[in-house]
Amino acid sequence: MDIFRIQESPILVAEALDALADPACGGQALFLGVVRNEFQGRASSGLEYDAHVSLAEREFRRIGDEIRLEFGVRHIVMVHRTGRLALGEASVLVGVSAPHRHAALNACEAAIDRLKGRAPIFKRELWADGEAAWHGEPGGPPVAP
Amino acid sequence: MAIRVLFFGFAADRMKTREMLLDPEPNLRIDAVFERFQATLGAPADRFLFSVNDEWAPADRLLLDGDTVAFIPPMSGG
Repeated sequence: MDIFRIQESPILVAEALDALADPACGGQALFLGVVRNEFQGRASSGLEYDAHVSLAEREFRRIGDEIRLEFGVRHIVMVHRTGRLALGEASVLVGVSAPHRHAALNACEAAIDRLKGRAPIFKRELWADGEAAWHGEPGGPPVAP
Repeated sequence: MAIRVLFFGFAADRMKTREMLLDPEPNLRIDAVFERFQATLGAPADRFLFSVNDEWAPADRLLLDGDTVAFIPPMSGG
């Protein structure tokens, strides 16, 4: 089964693996994006995410439809968190299952790349010195590639 | 007519709200609504994308009574 969801609660990898399970699939690929302790050399203490939830979930589904057609994957999970996240917490999970490994790996990379470029989700850097700034905000840190 | 405007990320911070109800004149385009808030947002329209009723929309889209328009700042998910 597929999951396309924005959520405040922590990401559960086991839920994704359950969704991806399929006896016809010999490969499952999973990507976890986690909160890093710096951005462009400046120490960070965490991230806060905001999202246009309904549009983001619609865009997840659209990306999922593309990925299924292009790579022949059978199940797709795209989950992204909102709210404040501590260092090391997972902010995003993308998982796919496919009959063979190359399709799974390539589809997983394509899905996270498209999510980053197209889903209306917004990241605020919580700097270690106590300041904070949204990525892409005028005067703030750039949107990461 | 009644229009609902949604703000996200830094736009919500600068507007000090996530949502606003407007009662503008008919035949108003998204970019005309945006202009009303541009000084507060501190960024030009070309830094934003827009949606109407949970679907992407161009800046020149005409708004209708009951529409919900969202100002979408640079995206940085992941």
